[in-house]
This record gives sequence, structure tokens and C-alpha cells, in this order.
Amino acid sequence: MLNTLQIYNNYLVERSLLSVMPELVIVIFAFIVLFLGLFRKLPDNDNSYYLSLIGIVFSILYVLMLSNQNINGFFGSVVFDGMDVFVFIAILFAGLLTILMSKKYIEMFNLPLAEYYSLILFTVAGMMLLVSSVNLIMIFLSIEFMSISAYILTGYIKGNTRSTEAALKYFILGSFASAFLIFGSVFIYAATGHLNIYNIHNFLYTGSSNSGLSASIRDYLSIGLILFLIGLAFKMSLFPFHAWTPDSYDGAPTTVTNLMATGIKVAAFAIFIRVFSSIFDSSVFNFYNILWILSVLTMTFGNLAALLQTNIKRLLAYSSIAQAGYMLIGIIGGGHYGYTATLFYLLSYVFMTAGAFAIVIVFENLNIASFDIKSYSGIGYKYPLISASMSFFLLALAGIPVTSGFMGKFYVFSAAIKSNYDWLIFIALLNSALAAFYYIKIIVRMYMISNGDADQVELGESSANMTAIAANITPSLIITIIISLIFTLLLGIYPQMFIHFASQSVTSLWKI
Amino acid sequence: MDINAYLIVAGILFSIGGLGVLIRKNLIVVFMSLELMFNAANLGFVAVSGYLNLISGDIFVIFVMVVAAAEAAIALGIAIAFYREKGTINIDKANELKW
Repeated sequence: MLNTLQIYNNYLVERSLLSVMPELVIVIFAFIVLFLGLFRKLPDNDNSYYLSLIGIVFSILYVLMLSNQNINGFFGSVVFDGMDVFVFIAILFAGLLTILMSKKYIEMFNLPLAEYYSLILFTVAGMMLLVSSVNLIMIFLSIEFMSISAYILTGYIKGNTRSTEAALKYFILGSFASAFLIFGSVFIYAATGHLNIYNIHNFLYTGSSNSGLSASIRDYLSIGLILFLIGLAFKMSLFPFHAWTPDSYDGAPTTVTNLMATGIKVAAFAIFIRVFSSIFDSSVFNFYNILWILSVLTMTFGNLAALLQTNIKRLLAYSSIAQAGYMLIGIIGGGHYGYTATLFYLLSYVFMTAGAFAIVIVFENLNIASFDIKSYSGIGYKYPLISASMSFFLLALAGIPVTSGFMGKFYVFSAAIKSNYDWLIFIALLNSALAAFYYIKIIVRMYMISNGDADQVELGESSANMTAIAANITPSLIITIIISLIFTLLLGIYPQMFIHFASQSVTSLWKI
Repeated sequence: MDINAYLIVAGILFSIGGLGVLIRKNLIVVFMSLELMFNAANLGFVAVSGYLNLISGDIFVIFVMVVAAAEAAIALGIAIAFYREKGTINIDKANELKW
């Protein structure tokens, strides 16, 4: 019998292509979308939207098809392993939800659609390449691939000063971070002579077992790893390096904000786990202490700043900074259990955040509320279903039981407790209480504070409202909200399946 | 050949670039400072790969140069969009989004 896999094993090029197949599908579809965009005569409305959805679905199918494989491609610069499978699913869902929610929203601005959808696909492909890269060159290239598309998307609303300004700030700080990343790579390269992180790992461990690393190598390595950490911390938006986050989240189109908050964060954390578990050797420098401080500062600052916000997008931006602090706790907890917990948290975070942003878009489309939280007053009774799901997502972000946010926090905190980080958990729990305040503040506003004119809604007006809703909420937005609701609930009620999946994927990190 | 000297020069260039990004007000000068940071890393790579007799550092430099060109394209695009809206490329005018 002809075994297809054996044939693949025999041919290097095919094998290399196989290792990037999910990304390649996305890139091919992005080019098709871009190419069809050339023909302005075509009814430009829907084809790019549907094509990009098909691309994402094909890519998910490819990931599932390859899910048992462990493929090294392109002379060991790209790897497709279990870790990739889990994170790809999270990233592809982030991309899927972003595309679903952009349908009506991006048409409102009268912007070219084909370029928009193809840039979204390119960003998603960049994120996936970033997660699967195991070479410092590949890590740098894919971070840039992802970020350059994201810079363009951030400034996509032509003539909107806020959008341009957000793109400007994102670009300057993003490139600043990349410069730190490559300058860190210089020192790592000077210390070890390798660019592949598995080779660096082997160099460090065989070197330290023989005679210990020499002093100059140790110095180079600690400088390099700290610069590298700073570069990645910008992308993960940890505290001292978070400055771009609220501004670019606020100015970007809301759909792009969603992609940045979910996809880019997931990709940055995944590559950090991959790099941290292999080359951040504690014999060189105790990185756990640095991460401890970063995590505490990140969540405390994120929550305190979110308390003061009056703009919903900014509030969600600061809350995403705080969530990054919680995700870091799992990495600090370390080991198999800690990384599993962080991956689970990342997956649940994708759905919670996407749901919340989808509802912000619903309100924006309906023109019933601006980004100002004050305009959310009394919405709860006018639009009961939408407000109820908004409350659910906000409770999930706050970490109330039954939701995925609670299970995520539970696993992350228990991973840290296993490693005896009691004070860290104490601070994190205080922070969760603080965070609950500003999430619940929005819910209180929606249900308990009247808008003034809310009492005067008459029957005729409310039926007019219903038609307005029907015209402005597209089925795709409803699908987005329903997918997010289902997964937020499923991850909260029945997390075992996903935890099992995550722990299986994490094991591939140690198969070096 | 002492590798430290090269890395110190690269470090100085990198710091000058970083300071430039942080304190200069003109958008174009900020982009130039970013390029300086990238090129400091390039210098480091070339020196290290010459010192270790390896080729991979040189390959990295080529990739960094390619990416820097792509970034310059985006950067100038953003600068033009910014100029059209504000009539200036002073970074201090990017003050709509704060806190």
C-alpha cells in the first residue's frame, strides 16, 4: 500500500512545504482576494469576505489533518508540532471571528474591501509563522510580517486622524521593539554561535554540564536574553512596554483592535513560551524573578488604569494589559502544568475578548452608543439579548465561575501555587477583585442607571427599533457572538477536553 | 581581532538610535533613528559572524536590510497620511489619543 506520509518523508521540499501548509493556504487565499480586488467591475461587496472565510476554514482543516505530525521544515527554521496545533486553532479562530465581525462594519467607512481582507489574512499568516518558527531569523521575519500588516490595518480608515495617529504610534514603538529583538539576537549569536533555538538550547545545556559557561559567554547571553525579552514584552504589552497598547487599540478600527487584542497577543505569548522554555536558561540569570516583577506590575497597572477609563475601547485595552499579567503567571509557574494553563487561558481569552468587541461593534453599528461608557446607560432593557451577552463576556473577563475566564484563572493560579509563588497569587487575587469592579461597573450602567429618555420609549418606536436592528446587525455578527458565547461557556463548564488538548500540545516543547 | 570593541561600537550606535527615537520631534528623524538601531544590530551581526567564521549572521543582515526597506515604505506612507491630516510632521501633534 502506498503510504502518503512515507512519500512526504522522502522529499525534503515537500516536507518543508508541508510544515508551513496552514500558513501557505492563508497566504494563497490572501493573494487571490487581492487579485480579485483588481477587478473593480466585479461586485466587490461579498466575494473577498467569503473567500477569506473559506481560506481560514481550509487552514483549520489542514491543521486538523496534520495534527499528529511533527515536521521540521526549511532546514530546521520552521517546525510544525503539537504546540502549533493548539495555538493555530486559537489564532485561526481569532481571525475567523475578526473577519465575521468586519462584514458590515468595514463597509460603513467606504474603504476598499479586498485589501482589508487580504491584510487580515496576511496578519493571521504572520502570527502562525511566528508561532512555528524556531530560528531567530524566522522569529524576526515573522514578527515583522505580522506587524507590518497590522500597522497598515491600524491606519486603515483614510482621513480619520485618530486612526492615522494610532498607526503612527504603533509603528514607532513596534519597530523600536523589533530593533531590541534583533540587537538581543546579536548577543545571543555572539555567545553561542547559533541562530536556531534548539541548537542554542543544546549548546547551553551541554556547555553547562561540562565546565560551566565561560564568563564572557555568560555576559553576552544575559545581555542578549534581556534585550530579546524586552522586544517580546513590547508585543505582549507588559507593563513598562505597554505604552502603544491603549492608543493603537483606541484609534484602530474596532475589528482590527479585536485582531490585535486576540491574535497578536496569542502569537506573542506562544512564541515567548517556545523561546522561554528552550533558551532562557536559569543558570545564566534568574528570569523567573524578572517575570514575577513584570507580571505584578503589568496586572496592577492595567487594572488601576482601567478603573479610570471612560472609553470602552480603552477600558478593554487596559483590561487586555491586565490579562497579559495573568497569562504571565502561568509561565512563571512553569513546567508542563504552567504552560498548559497559559495556553488554556489564551484560548479562553480569544473568545471572551472577541465577544466583547463584537458587541461594541453592534452598538457602534446601531449608533445607539458611542465608545463613551456613559452612553451605555439604560441599554439593558432596550436591547435585552445583546446586553445580556455583553454582561456575560464582561463577567467572563472578570473571572466569575461558569465562564471560561474563571477556569483559565483557576488553572493559571494553581500552576503558580504548585511552584510556591504564594505572594504572586495573593497580589493576583487582589487584582481580580479590583478588575471585577470596572467590569461590573459597565453592567450596572446598562441595567441600573436610566438614560433619561428610556422611560419614554413607546410601542411604535420600539418596533422601529426592531427594524433598525434587523438592518444593522448582520447574521455574521450574530454568528460571531454565538460562537464566542458557546466557547466561553463550553470552556467554563467542560474544560477537561481543552486542558487535555493543551497539555498534549505542550509536551512537544520538550521533544527537542 | 577583539569582538568586544565591535559590539561596544554597535551598542553605542544602538543607544544613539534609541535616544533619537525617544527625544526627537521630527517624524523623519525618528525613522532615521530607527534605521540606525537596525544598522547597529547589522554591524554586530557582521562582526560576530566574521569573528566566529560563520555565515548565518551575514544572512541575518540581508534579511534585516530587506525588512528595513519594507518598514521604510510603511513609515513614509504613514508620514504622508499624517502630514495630509495635520499639515506637519511634528510628533507632538500626535496628541489626540491620550490616557
